[in-house]
Amino acid sequence: MIEVKNLTKIFNEGSEATFHALKNISFTIRDNELVLLKGVSGSGKSTLLAIIASLLKPSSGDVVVEGRHVAKLPDLHASKFRATTIGFIFQSFNLLDHLSVSENIAVPLIPMKLPKTELIRRVEHAMELANISHKRDTTAKNLSGGEKQRCAIARALVNTPKVILCDEPTANLDLDNAHAFVEVIRRLKQEGYTILIATHDTIFDTLQEVDRTIAIENGEILQ
Amino acid sequence: MNIFLSNQVLIFLFSETVLYLLALIAFVGTLQILKLWDFQATTPRQYALEKRAFLIVTMIQLILWFKILLLPYFAYTIDKLSLLIPGAMCGAGVIAANPYGNPLLLLKILLLFGIGIWLIVDREDQKAPDYPFFKTKFRFYLLLFVLLTTEYILDIVYFSHISTSDVVQCCSAIFGISGSNRIPFNLNTTSLVAIFYLLYLLTVLLALQRRPWLLFIVSLLFLYFGYQSVVHFFGTYIYQLPTHKCPFCMLQKEYWYVGYLLWSLLFGGVFFGIANAALSVMIHKTSLRLYRLAILFNTFFVILCTAYVLFYLIQNGVWL
Repeated sequence: MIEVKNLTKIFNEGSEATFHALKNISFTIRDNELVLLKGVSGSGKSTLLAIIASLLKPSSGDVVVEGRHVAKLPDLHASKFRATTIGFIFQSFNLLDHLSVSENIAVPLIPMKLPKTELIRRVEHAMELANISHKRDTTAKNLSGGEKQRCAIARALVNTPKVILCDEPTANLDLDNAHAFVEVIRRLKQEGYTILIATHDTIFDTLQEVDRTIAIENGEILQ
Repeated sequence: MNIFLSNQVLIFLFSETVLYLLALIAFVGTLQILKLWDFQATTPRQYALEKRAFLIVTMIQLILWFKILLLPYFAYTIDKLSLLIPGAMCGAGVIAANPYGNPLLLLKILLLFGIGIWLIVDREDQKAPDYPFFKTKFRFYLLLFVLLTTEYILDIVYFSHISTSDVVQCCSAIFGISGSNRIPFNLNTTSLVAIFYLLYLLTVLLALQRRPWLLFIVSLLFLYFGYQSVVHFFGTYIYQLPTHKCPFCMLQKEYWYVGYLLWSLLFGGVFFGIANAALSVMIHKTSLRLYRLAILFNTFFVILCTAYVLFYLIQNGVWL
């Protein structure tokens, strides 16, 4: 469950370049909900996702994810929280080009110091969920855009997170690969994940599994 | 010659000044944090305070780690000054050159222990996600800041009152047979060494039994008797001269700078021995690791002291 309470984020506070990215936002996402966060570029979607993932601190307000006040977490604990609770899928994939698909997916598990058999089992399961098993030994730089995105999805799933956050996940994909991504999201929803997708892509509009859409404009939620 | 023209003194005082200025900034920040901190609040002020607290804690960590490094440098500085001060053969004469030297040295050792406790409390605080010992460590920093201020003033007063023309006493006059630093409580050397080993065994035993308060008391006794034993017994084997009794000469090159290792082990062992009692008062926790470190440091200290005696005995076949 994700609870966002009176969340405000102001960049460059106190200077001439002060920018209110989020203005007193509140909403709740229940377990296993698939929610779309829609808005144009610069509306505050990415800032909101970054705060939910504890990558960024708010200026005021609170965010509770799976019972943890993530905005209050010290940096060290924020890293642990992300490693165990959040799967983040970025627009630009953020893969390590010189590593293979399976190695990229295994990276988030390194700090957990799992036994090798358990590590392999988790990587295999994540590759299967993201439908990228057949490319396990291919280096990331040799993947197509869609394959890179599926590799990124598998990497986001490998630490068995409760919550998956996607920031413009189809922005760098062609139509076929975007549809393939939507299929993966459908499957993840059926697996019981809580999913929040920040997007302005209309491809998700037809996805029946979407429970709700939250529209955001100039840092405010539209009623 | 002006003592402030010595490179070591200049570097030392410059470092102390920079660290003290940082400590002063951290002190002001600490007062603000203690006054306004409310971890449950989700207000802009609290989030700004959390950011500032991160900065202040980082500053204090930096200051305190550098203060630890500066203690051996202080010992090195006063040792080097013995070349400039008539009569001084080592740091002993320099430290006794005016009435401020010995209180300053004692204060630095006391601060070292305080700094160590603060760093451990800070580490425990950072292990938890909700800053459980946040106010405790900042309140303790206020006390440390008072000590840091006193130390900084004493640093200036001490160095500015060292005369390069007045003759001071050398270590043999201070610690030798004619000096005022005789073996305490009218003990003879055998009794002193017996107490030394007995106290060592007690520190090990109490650490194994995890008795923080008894270990605290015995560790302080071990510090005192360890110091006296090194000066009056083990030191003579380091110098290989029965009349040479000095805690400072062993910091010199002629003795492979072994004094730095020896005193670090003693102070380290005593610190880890007393730390659990302090932690039990401040944060109601003790640490198995600290008990282990107390045993480790004290054991290495005793081995090092004993090794000098044994090697001398093997080489020469006689006791000093």
